[in-house]
Amino acid sequence: MTADAVSGFGIAGWGTALPERVVSNAELAQRFGVDEDWIVSRCGIRERRAVEPGQTTASLAVEAGRDALAKAGLDGADIAHLMVATATPEQPSPATSAFVHHELGIAGSAHDLNAECAGFVYGVVSAMALMALDPRPVLLIGSDTHTLTVRPDDRDLGILVGDGAGALVLTPRPDHVVRGWNLGADGSCSSSLKVLAGGSRLPTTAETVREGLHYARINGNEIYLNAVRYTVETVRQTLESAKVEPADVDHVIPHQANIRIINSVLQHTGLPPERLVSNLDRYGNTASASVPLALAEALDAGRIREGQLVLLAGFGAGMTWGSVLLEWGGR
Amino acid sequence: MSMPTIDELASQLTAVSGAKAVDPDHPLQHIEDVDSLDLMEWLYGFQNDYPHIPADESLFADMDDTTTLRTVHERIQRLVPEQG
Repeated sequence: MTADAVSGFGIAGWGTALPERVVSNAELAQRFGVDEDWIVSRCGIRERRAVEPGQTTASLAVEAGRDALAKAGLDGADIAHLMVATATPEQPSPATSAFVHHELGIAGSAHDLNAECAGFVYGVVSAMALMALDPRPVLLIGSDTHTLTVRPDDRDLGILVGDGAGALVLTPRPDHVVRGWNLGADGSCSSSLKVLAGGSRLPTTAETVREGLHYARINGNEIYLNAVRYTVETVRQTLESAKVEPADVDHVIPHQANIRIINSVLQHTGLPPERLVSNLDRYGNTASASVPLALAEALDAGRIREGQLVLLAGFGAGMTWGSVLLEWGGR
Repeated sequence: MSMPTIDELASQLTAVSGAKAVDPDHPLQHIEDVDSLDLMEWLYGFQNDYPHIPADESLFADMDDTTTLRTVHERIQRLVPEQG
């Protein structure tokens, strides 16, 4: 799905939350019996953060949301809708957004969005659509704790994932313009990354736990190939709909999954590598949080200026993918 | 319809992986600097360069210690549609 330019919103605030516990490559190299250099060359990650007891998807989301509200000069009572993008919910029911809604004192409605690692990009487009119907502030948070879903001896996922949250407050102001966007999904690829047990298809039992079916499993080759293919395609479609050349994009903020996927996407789309915004080396793959974390860090560093074009792009299990091209306005 | 030679496949994989050399008859799993992600990146490039050949990740589905680039090339040859 693709559409033309949409105006009439502002990014009034942004926030982040990262657990203090740093998981280094040295620690994982020892756990998995591999070289630290192998981890870096395979995925570009040097360290990642992991929650400690007491920290959860909702607690990270609350921290990031509170940060974003403070920067926007708003509080929960000003928010008409809260959306939490996550694939690692607080618990099966109710939605993670319910817990965040309570903690932040949100006045309006709330719901979760699960498009896996593409969740935040889906959320940005969904927030725009909500604000077109109801021009009041939206708080959008991406929060995931994938370190809790990984089997302790799973080297493939264990070196990749990290925990964190990022948030944006979107307000109905004429500051920014969505120059183009594209969302897509291919449900036939649903086996690429999966948690088999704990849902209606395979409810949790003592046996599913004994077999470790509550842990995430990844088909790395399938994910890699489809991630490159679909991210390249969504970026091409968004830039085409916006009539923007790759070389004219000022900041490229992709889902931070693996540096080799990111480099391949840059190469095949023609996006300038020097415009990449990446925190992958420090945080690993933080799933729904990766795009807002990178965006918030770029904003905090003053890298994004008025009139510049910012491309957000993501892909996730499912598979899902999406991209949004923002023309940054004045504040 | 074009079909890459075994040497062309080796050059493509060398470029993607950064390996010093890719011997078509050396088991893929034992070529230094070539890993499964390199093979997928190579496959993505192949799919773009040869869209008429329906190659996908099943090329490597049963890869073991004996699978070489020549094995893969032979599988690709069997995928090339016959010209009518």
